[in-house]
Amino acid sequence: MRAVDIFIQQILNGLSIASVITLIAVGVTLIFGLTGIINFAHGEFLMIGGIVTWLAVSAGLSFPLAVVLAILAVGLMGYVLERGIFRFTLERPTNGFIVSLGLIVVLQHVVVLFWNPNQKSIPRPLTTVWDVGGVRIASVRVMVILITVAVVALSFRMITTSRYGRALRASVEDRDTAALMGIPVRRYITGVFVLGSALAGLGGALLIALFPITPFIGGTMVMKGFAVALIGGLGNIYGAVAAGLILGIVEGFSAGYGFSQWTDAYSFVLMILVLLFRPHGLFGGTSGPRMAS
Amino acid sequence: MSEGSTPQGKHPTHSVAPALRSLVPVLVVLTLIALVPLLSPSNRFLSLAISAGINVIALYGLSVLFGQTGILSMGHAALVGVGAYTAAILARDFGVGFWLALPVAALTSAVFAMIVGIPSLRVGGHHFVIMTFAFGQLLAIVLTNGGDYTGAATGLDMVGPVNLFGADMGDLTRYYLMVVAFVAVAAVASWAIINSSYGRTLRAIRENEKLAASLGINVGRHKIGAFVVSGVFAGISGVLLANFLGHISPTQFASFPSIYLALMVMIGGARLITGPLAGGILVAFLPEVLNLDPVQSRIVYGVCLIAVILLLPDGLIAGIAAFVRKVFTAKSKERQRQENGVVSNPSEARR
Repeated sequence: MRAVDIFIQQILNGLSIASVITLIAVGVTLIFGLTGIINFAHGEFLMIGGIVTWLAVSAGLSFPLAVVLAILAVGLMGYVLERGIFRFTLERPTNGFIVSLGLIVVLQHVVVLFWNPNQKSIPRPLTTVWDVGGVRIASVRVMVILITVAVVALSFRMITTSRYGRALRASVEDRDTAALMGIPVRRYITGVFVLGSALAGLGGALLIALFPITPFIGGTMVMKGFAVALIGGLGNIYGAVAAGLILGIVEGFSAGYGFSQWTDAYSFVLMILVLLFRPHGLFGGTSGPRMAS
Repeated sequence: MSEGSTPQGKHPTHSVAPALRSLVPVLVVLTLIALVPLLSPSNRFLSLAISAGINVIALYGLSVLFGQTGILSMGHAALVGVGAYTAAILARDFGVGFWLALPVAALTSAVFAMIVGIPSLRVGGHHFVIMTFAFGQLLAIVLTNGGDYTGAATGLDMVGPVNLFGADMGDLTRYYLMVVAFVAVAAVASWAIINSSYGRTLRAIRENEKLAASLGINVGRHKIGAFVVSGVFAGISGVLLANFLGHISPTQFASFPSIYLALMVMIGGARLITGPLAGGILVAFLPEVLNLDPVQSRIVYGVCLIAVILLLPDGLIAGIAAFVRKVFTAKSKERQRQENGVVSNPSEARR
């Protein structure tokens, strides 16, 4: 293989990792940036999405159906947890954060309890590998990238141009005035939380299509999600996508060129630097959550 | 003991005597715990108690940081790890023994806390928590990639016995007693901080950062100071841990152990001097008492943590105390009413 081919290969691998990270980051940026809920269990939501996909595929369902099931299951879980738990922490975000730490522990170990702590994988939903001028392109990676692009574009449109998106942004800007205008702010908070959770469910389904996962995958993934969300600017989907791309490609290259043991460190270092020098993110955000305060 | 229950705020000169009272329950409990070896407990009990005690020492540091200053750190286990690795590397490379390793490790952890604290505390509120979490993970990655120097993923073995006045502390019972003594020192130290003017400064920062700053308190420096103090506790806890386990590895000090430390301090109650002790003991012994396997017990912790935060935000001990106080005042009120010949009204008596 020529150096150029390896290079293109790494970009592609990086892009598919970036897709999953972007899906988490968009969820985090929406939930943390717009509602102020710091849900560190978001990575576990992703893990549950992967586990649901694994269960569904193992039960003989087709992969697309399993993905839909994962999205629905994690979306429903998000709804239940927001109504049952996070709703009561809106006034004190730190409590919400601590509660989410408890949720991490509970969700991880419930999965371990029922389905053991070992790695879980599904057969690749698409096995074709295209050979384009010496570059081997796995179709499953292309599928992951395309699904992510479509879903993120849809969310972006929903947040920026739709009526609901405008109402949502009004609620972030000034909660009381928005409420006076007849916008059901609380219901929007639930809606954003469910949307973010569903995206995590999708991310989990796509992740298990690429790699085997363990019940403990959530920890590193959520840190990357928060890193990307903070680098891109909270509440800024565009920023999350850009930062997710940067991080995914950096990680892809580092893994491809023999520094794989440091891949997890980049996101942390990058996030620490951005928080120090550009606390509003590289692309500008809501400058921290306001809706809940 | 937070404000209100002790008159320290109003009468700083007379504050020692009533404040001393808050230390009594802890010392009584610790004395009882120190007498346990007379009942010839099993080795399993002693090991569990030693790990609980080592955690409690770290928790007293965390309670100064979180309970008094209101800063939540998700990297406390990393500071414990710095202490543990310092002790192990000192023993391996320089043959440094336990007693010299203690102050050196405490200093290293404090310096590390300062290095992490200075940039992290510049970013406010929730972002700080995320920063400490990231630093904790980074430390685990660095230790894993440290090659032979840090023993990579397998970690390091601790060499050399612990001696006290010529007596070998390798014996479980003796190590147990030593840890209990260290816990007592940690409790007294944390009590002294809480009841000093420094403690009051920290609480002022916790209650209202802007107001504290406008009173001329250097908020940034005191926050870093509290973080450094918590590092000293963590470093000492790390040395004890390394010597007790005989082997340390990076995963012991990543962010999940930090989460468990935060969980313990919150279940016990971060603002009370009894809180860390109660939290550490509860979390260590609850699974034994309820006969749970590790997976089940973690689920129980998680559920407990969520329940404590939603229902008893000041921790279990404070919650129980408040409940007892409520029941007693209700009863005494009712008695008063009956003595006064008023027909007791249950809805009023409950108030």
